[in-house]
Amino acid sequence: MIEQDQMQFTAGRERAPLQASVLVIIAIAGIAIFVSLAHWLDSRRPPVDVNIEEERLYLTGKTAKRLSLGFNGLIADWYWMRSLQYVGRKIMNLPQDVELDNLGQLNLILLAPLLDTATTVDPQFLEPYEYAALVLPSVNVDEAIRITKRGIEANPGAWRLYQHLGYIYWQQGDFQSSSKIYANGAKLPGAPPWMEAMSARMAAEGGSRRVAREIYTRMYEQAGDESVKEMARRRLMQLDSWDERDTLRKVIQLYRAHAGHCPASWREAETVIRTLNWRVDTSGAPVDPSGSPYRLTKNGCDVDLDPGSLVPAK
Amino acid sequence: MFRIFAIARNAFREAVRDRVLYNLVLFVLLLTAVAIFIGELSGGQERKIIVDLGLSAMLLFGVFIAIFVGVGLVYKEIERRTVYAIFAKPVGRGEFLIGKYLGLCLTLLVNVVIMGTGLSLALIYVGGGWEPLALRIWPAVLLIYVELAVLTGVALLFSSFSSPALSALLTFFIFIIGHFSADLKSLAASTGNIGARWLFSALYYLLPNLANYSYITPAAHGQVPALTQSIVAILYGGFYTTVILAIALLVFSRRNFK
Repeated sequence: MIEQDQMQFTAGRERAPLQASVLVIIAIAGIAIFVSLAHWLDSRRPPVDVNIEEERLYLTGKTAKRLSLGFNGLIADWYWMRSLQYVGRKIMNLPQDVELDNLGQLNLILLAPLLDTATTVDPQFLEPYEYAALVLPSVNVDEAIRITKRGIEANPGAWRLYQHLGYIYWQQGDFQSSSKIYANGAKLPGAPPWMEAMSARMAAEGGSRRVAREIYTRMYEQAGDESVKEMARRRLMQLDSWDERDTLRKVIQLYRAHAGHCPASWREAETVIRTLNWRVDTSGAPVDPSGSPYRLTKNGCDVDLDPGSLVPAK
Repeated sequence: MFRIFAIARNAFREAVRDRVLYNLVLFVLLLTAVAIFIGELSGGQERKIIVDLGLSAMLLFGVFIAIFVGVGLVYKEIERRTVYAIFAKPVGRGEFLIGKYLGLCLTLLVNVVIMGTGLSLALIYVGGGWEPLALRIWPAVLLIYVELAVLTGVALLFSSFSSPALSALLTFFIFIIGHFSADLKSLAASTGNIGARWLFSALYYLLPNLANYSYITPAAHGQVPALTQSIVAILYGGFYTTVILAIALLVFSRRNFK
């Protein structure tokens, strides 16, 4: 009996490596099969219905906060990242580049509820307010103002929220309200001195390029998010380019007055351009702040950006 | 006193031998590492998200440890009949229960300290050098620990008279209701019915107000709780747990093991 048991035990031990090999093969084959099936399912999945994709959020900010069980910071992070992904996904589907403050064409109907929930769940989370102030006005300006004002109520000491609200009013052309908001923000402890100066400048010359330059320079300096920084940098390039194009138009007028016709190419006006110490490319064309050459338009009587330029056209 | 510490040490050893604990600690450390990569999707909010995720994971896994290990502390001894061997020695039921409680609290302390250290290191790593948040999270970690200690007491109370499954369920409900305390209070204030008002008021005061220990979100913004408020919250937790353990002992001392 003992001998029989021992024989069974020995036979079992001899079979063990074989069993292990069979199990490994089954596991590898199984993985290969279910990965292939997953690929097959993905490739045949019907496109998501736009109406379903853009469905309103299930939870309001208040409900999400109530259900958070103390994990509200984490939930706010989740909604914040969802906002970024939502906008990022829509931008990626576009054939051309768009500016972060000009996304009205993207139909971002979920952005306001997403940012609203993130800031309701964690009212001290300042980044979503910044995003609401910069991105939301081109989608829903009333919501942008409401969310930013709510941010000021929840964080009365945060001068940057006044900067954001002032920016929204400035974009809408309401320079008086913008000036007032900058003035209120300037009174807060820790607010930089330029807030006071911005208030005065906004009241005096709200629609000028100088104010715009000041706004985007400050935004570039203060922004924590790289995409916001990039947007401010491109807007500053645009302002530089507007100034440059004004100068180039004067050059063209000067050339026209002298030669009796507009230049057929930049080479013809090269002498004047060189006296201005302008950066030119190999063809002699002056280059814009992104390094692309300016184009002569309207039979050489006007100047415009090159289609490949990184300077925003609008 | 020595006997209590002996039981606590054994309870700690038993918990440490339980591989689930190691897995949980490892998982939280991994989660913190993952947080570093999630942070890159967050538009420059890496630190906040790492703190939110790390502290939330610390609380959540701590709750699981407190519940699932806590409810088995007494039950396992009875089920394996080792309780007879223990009570055959000069060990009182009170000493046994408090020793078990302290043993699990020690286990949770070790867990929380390891998780907190991992989180601080992750913050220093992300900051590329010294990061003030790495220190500022510790008051929140302390409050999480007090919350876990209260929950352990609750788990022990339920396990002193109920089965592990039911005890785990009831303790989990207490964890959820404990975070809805403010709603109980507002319900009590808003209802017109005097009986209902008394009921909600009684529930508000009798159930642990775990919202006192919710400091994860402000900690992620670099805020530190007020010292007085923290001390009072810790005292509240201490007294609440004392009462819970006293009730557990009352039930346990009357329990017949035959």
